[in-house]
Amino acid sequence: MRKTFLLIAAALAVSAVIVVTAGATSSATPGVTAKSILLEGTFPLSGPASGYAPIPAGMGAYFSYVNAHGGVNGRKIIWKYEDDGYNPANTVQITHKFVEQDHAFALVGGLGTEPQTAVRDYLNQQKVPQLFVSTGATTFDRDFAQYPWTLGWQPDYEAEGAIYGKYIVKNLASAKLGILYQNDDYGNDYLRGLKAGLTAEHLPQIIDAEPYDLSATTPPAVQVAKLKASGADTFIIFATPTPTIQAYVIATKLGWTPAHVITNSVSATDPFLTIAEKSGSTIVEGTISINYGLDPSNPIYNKTPGMKLYRTIMKKYDPKGNANDPLNLYGVSKAWNTVKVLQAAGKNLTRAGLMKAARNMNFSAKKKNANPFGLPGVNILTKGNYQYPISQVTLIRYQNHVFQPFGGLINGRGA
Amino acid sequence: MTRLTRIGGPAGFVVLVAAVLLAPLVFSHYRTYQLAFVAVYLIALVGLNILTGYTGQISLGHGAFMGVGAYTTTILVVDHGWRDLWTIPVAGVVAGLIGLAFGLPATRFAGPYLALATFAIPLSFIGILKRFPHFTGGNIGKSLPQLHAELGVQANPSLWFYAVTWTVALVMFPLAYLVVRGRFGRSLRAVRDSEIASTANGVSTAAVKAAAFGVSAFFCGVAGALYAIGITYVNPDTFPIDLSILLLVGIVLGGAGSLGGMLFGALFVEFIRISWGPALLGVFSSVHHINKNAPGSGLVVYGVVLLLVLYAAPSGAAGLARRATGAATRFRRGKDASLSDPSLV
Repeated sequence: MRKTFLLIAAALAVSAVIVVTAGATSSATPGVTAKSILLEGTFPLSGPASGYAPIPAGMGAYFSYVNAHGGVNGRKIIWKYEDDGYNPANTVQITHKFVEQDHAFALVGGLGTEPQTAVRDYLNQQKVPQLFVSTGATTFDRDFAQYPWTLGWQPDYEAEGAIYGKYIVKNLASAKLGILYQNDDYGNDYLRGLKAGLTAEHLPQIIDAEPYDLSATTPPAVQVAKLKASGADTFIIFATPTPTIQAYVIATKLGWTPAHVITNSVSATDPFLTIAEKSGSTIVEGTISINYGLDPSNPIYNKTPGMKLYRTIMKKYDPKGNANDPLNLYGVSKAWNTVKVLQAAGKNLTRAGLMKAARNMNFSAKKKNANPFGLPGVNILTKGNYQYPISQVTLIRYQNHVFQPFGGLINGRGA
Repeated sequence: MTRLTRIGGPAGFVVLVAAVLLAPLVFSHYRTYQLAFVAVYLIALVGLNILTGYTGQISLGHGAFMGVGAYTTTILVVDHGWRDLWTIPVAGVVAGLIGLAFGLPATRFAGPYLALATFAIPLSFIGILKRFPHFTGGNIGKSLPQLHAELGVQANPSLWFYAVTWTVALVMFPLAYLVVRGRFGRSLRAVRDSEIASTANGVSTAAVKAAAFGVSAFFCGVAGALYAIGITYVNPDTFPIDLSILLLVGIVLGGAGSLGGMLFGALFVEFIRISWGPALLGVFSSVHHINKNAPGSGLVVYGVVLLLVLYAAPSGAAGLARRATGAATRFRRGKDASLSDPSLV
């Protein structure tokens, strides 16, 4: 009896809470004061995807550098990032905190296709910029009409896949292609792009395509063995760093020596391939990929102003970071772009103003405002219906522990 | 006798209700949103506690039952246009039935063998999600509608979510009390304390364990439904194996076999996952090198916390509170208070 009473009391009480609630009040632009701008982002700092942890550190180094030189329109950038462990449920809760508790002005560089997909609806509903997400999933660029507050940054995976397709048509027209790809949007974007680049005529060159799961607890050994058995002579890897390294090593252990290896840009960085070589893979040499930023592992860029500035910044503001890791440069480069759009948004900073600036970027050598950390000639361009900030890349080949660029710049979006 | 009084009491429940009512007046919208997840975990822990605390069966797989509930809600809302609130009981029933179906054969195992069998649940759950992408959304998952007040109520979405989760939690809490209190509860504890003795006394241990499995999965399914509504997104990564282990840590920390202690467990689960866990991992790795890149490195934090609890307070927060109130009463009355133990926390 007493319990029934309590139950009813509880129900009534809870309904009372609902009645008491008040609507949210809004004042000036959140996260912006006369002296500061608050930017935040989620990144995997622990767990299997934590290889990306240098990115927010690199961004922080550049923001510190800008702050030391007067900030943006007199405002200092406050940069905070938290670990979501690549679990979208964590991303959602932390993002709620950024928006509702910290009142961040904008979220910048948030990493991961699924984690960023999980918060995209929320951020667009809240009208909070979800700027320069650290994923090349095509949807973050393509679906700008549906998600006006969201924008990607790097060349999208589909466009990158298409570049490999075109390269094969031109240079490896009789190669037999065996593909290892991650069984999700990431891998499928690449695969779709590759098929588009190959065109229907060369599609039969794909003699086997093997998917693997990122969450699988074992390396993709079965898949690589199948690819070897298929008779493929060109190994295409569309995977994230850890499985990529494993695939290289497994192929060698199985005695498979494909004539050509093509690896997507996310995993084809010097540190990752060095690990693959040190782990005993003999097929790393000659790996083909693409790049759009300066490569700190390659000494040919050491004389460029961008690389000099990058090393100065890393030395002073992130001395513990590995300056030779391209992920740091990726972070610095992205932070450069962030500062650029903040400047363009003007003194009277609003979230809408920031998005307007990001939707109308034109940073190029021609206008003498090109990204110093990008490859020479790579423009950052968004305009009207074209919302793919970076789409020019160069092909690179791994030779003697360094990626060397070859051929000129290619526009993955063909525009 | 004492076991019955330990599981909580009406007075404690009133205090809880009062705290639940006052919290949104004190805390920000974000904290309210976070406290709503405390209610979600509370429901899951209270359910798992029926299996682990009262029946003595360890499960390393109940995070997957939350997943079943979450996916049930998501698929009903996104693909069939249901109103999210109405999916909550359905999610509970679906998870409960799957739990029962798993429990019937699995509970023939005893002790650690059952724990190993339950470990298969989250593993196969993730596999199944990826195997049927047209149904589950595969890796990219599914997005639910954003949180919004319903039924004509005008309220901030976080407050609305808080009200919904705690209303459900405050219904489920007494429900668990009723389950563990009566004849059924007695057979649960009998199975826990001695399977041989309970069989000798005419209790079908397999049936009791399977029923406990079903009931606990029902609670986790309800929690999962609320979880999906609050996170507004599900994919296989949102129900990692860590979640199942974290739930178990929450049980131990709260005090297995105590309903009230689950509140502490739930607070712990929510805050260690979002706020403290990454920070603690950072501290640990600076003291002793830990490879933060390794899959499941966050589990190190849970492991250390678990060891500390087992060392310092083997009966969890509930045990600590009992000792504290016991000591206070003894101090006041100058006599042993164990017979009139008023604790409920």
